[in-house]
Amino acid sequence: MVTGVYVLCALTSLACAVQLLRVYRAGRVSLLLWTALCFCGLAANNIIMLLDVVLELDMTVWRKLPALAGVVLLLHGLISDSR
Amino acid sequence: MNQLLLGALAMAFFVIAMFFVRFFARTADRFFAFLGTAFAIMSINQVVLGILGEDSEYHSWVYLLRLAAFVLILIGIYDKNRR
Repeated sequence: MVTGVYVLCALTSLACAVQLLRVYRAGRVSLLLWTALCFCGLAANNIIMLLDVVLELDMTVWRKLPALAGVVLLLHGLISDSR
Repeated sequence: MNQLLLGALAMAFFVIAMFFVRFFARTADRFFAFLGTAFAIMSINQVVLGILGEDSEYHSWVYLLRLAAFVLILIGIYDKNRR
């Protein structure tokens, strides 16, 4: 159950990233690209979290960095688009 | 360092949610409502993780919030593609 939640988070965030990239390729709306890149970062965060739990490492700080990079990219995209 | 990153992520998610809420208010496009809600949930997720701590026995339960956010986005993408 515990590991299952982390597996599902990793899979769903990866699915979000892939689906958003597909929708971006169809419509070429830049906001979708920034959102897709954000979810790539969140997916990386969730995958590292899963590895952290399964392999019993301690990557508490390191696993948050891809998520932070993703949200910074999305914020950049949102601020650029709102001008 | 971990608390700093949690706080930064919580704030970033919240700001992103506000952007999407504004887009929804302007365009009445449900997709933005789904995204705004999902990012608001992710912001709450980070706050709860910050309060409980990484070693909490409820850590995996809190990740159900994150899973709910990703599922909401997948529903939003499906709903957008259907229209």
